[in-house]
Parts: sequence; C-alpha cells; structure tokens
Amino acid sequence: MRQDPKDQKDRLGRRQFFRALGGGTVAAAVGVSATPMTATDAQAYDPGQDETKGRYRLTDHVKAFYRTNGYETLKNSTNDAGKK
Amino acid sequence: MARMKFLCDADRCIECNACVTACKNEHEVPWGINRRRVVTLNDGKPGERSVSMACMHCTDAPCAAVCPVNCFYTTADAVVLHSKDICIGCGYCFYACPFGAPQYPRVGNFGSRGKMDKCTYCSGGPEADFSVAEYEKYGSNRLAEGKLPLCAEMCSTKALLAGDGEMIAEIYKQRVVKRGYGSGAWGWKTAYRETVAI
Repeated sequence: MRQDPKDQKDRLGRRQFFRALGGGTVAAAVGVSATPMTATDAQAYDPGQDETKGRYRLTDHVKAFYRTNGYETLKNSTNDAGKK
Repeated sequence: MARMKFLCDADRCIECNACVTACKNEHEVPWGINRRRVVTLNDGKPGERSVSMACMHCTDAPCAAVCPVNCFYTTADAVVLHSKDICIGCGYCFYACPFGAPQYPRVGNFGSRGKMDKCTYCSGGPEADFSVAEYEKYGSNRLAEGKLPLCAEMCSTKALLAGDGEMIAEIYKQRVVKRGYGSGAWGWKTAYRETVAI
C-alpha cells in the first residue's frame, strides 16, 4: 500500500527531528568534556594549626614516668632525659 | 619534634587489664567500646604472652587512607585523631586498621553504628582544649596537661610504655640488654622450664 506523499514528508520531518536531537546531545557532550575540570583533590580534615600543634612537654610528671619505667636499667640516661 | 608512641613489653604484661579499666574510667567511654584491650596468645599454655593493644597512631595511617570523608588528621606529636562531627560511621577504618582500634557505639550495618571512637593518646580532639565538648566526644586531654596516657601511667608492671618514641625505645632497649628477651630473659627457665623456648 502506497502512503500519501504528505505522510512521507511528515515522517522525514520526524527523522530529522531526532537526528537534530542526537546531534545536539553529542554537541552538548563535547561541550561538557571540553569544560576544564574544576573539582579539587580530596583534602584531609584540617582543624587548624592551633589544634594540630604539639602538646607534648617534658614536664616533671613525664620525667618521673621515664625515670620509674627505666628503674635500674636507665640509670645512666635518667639524668640525660631530664636535661632534654 | 617528639613522636608519641606506645610500646608494650610483652615480657612484663600480666594481663591485669588495668590499662583497659583506667582508659574507660578516664574518658568515660560508653558501654560496648574499649579503646584499649589486652590480647593474650597461647592462653593457659606455657609461654603465653599478653599484649596491650590500642590505636598505634601509625605514621601512614590506613584508617585515614580509606576514610571517605577524610575525618582523620595527624597532630605535630604524630598522634592520629579524628573529628566525630565529620565521621559518618561507615566502618571502613575498622576494616583497614591492623590493630582493630576503631570502635562503634552500636552494632549495625553501614551508617547505623554511630560515630567511630578510638584511642586519642589522651590528647582530646579538634575542639578547644579542656572544653566540655572535647571531653564529651573524645575524653580528657592529658597531653595538654603535661601528662602521658593514663593506661601507661597506671601500668603496675611498667609493661606499657608511652611517650617520646626515642625515649621509650631507649628504655626498652636497656631492659632487653639487662634481662634478655623471650626465653633468654631472667627467670624464664624457672617459670617455663628449659623445654619451652620462644
């Protein structure tokens, strides 16, 4: 059965429509890929210098800990630890 | 800069669990969480050994490497800490940690375990020192007080050492030089006979 030439014209129009749509999608994809990446690398949590600063101090309390733990074996170094 | 380290002298540890109790009490750690625990190998057999384990504050911490939200950070004292405000409780750090240090307040699946909790080396967290928020989330901040972790300070046999890595390595080295190590240690043959060697 032959179709009306007018219907054929409509069908071609529809095909053109989808072709144009596909072309647009490709163009959009190319556009996205051509955009420079703006995402940055993952960064470890940084609470700031104040919270990451060293808190260890060689106080008398800490010296006593070293001295008692090195009892009878750290005799020579006990005084050195106190001087550090 | 001193690097904070733990070292457990397995020849001295008697599995009294005082370090575990001291830690829980000092930081008011919730039920179900043990920041420190004592692991015993060959329990009940000649030559059994106990080692007190907690977060070892790794230099290249695997927990920090796998954390999807990057909540871990390392202080200038080489202590590995984390922010409970950022933690999502996914549990990845638990699987990554070779010491089983990360703990969770609830049993559950992904995202339902609650915020991760672990040993802070008694140095609090990202909140201001000695603040109420810091104590509630992370426990006391003994390092800022000029003290060392309570688990080590409480150890009755001086098995658990804490402090400057170089200093405690020197203490341990001199112990080994004086007494020997393993089956060569003083009193070993009396305790375990000559047939048991480690």
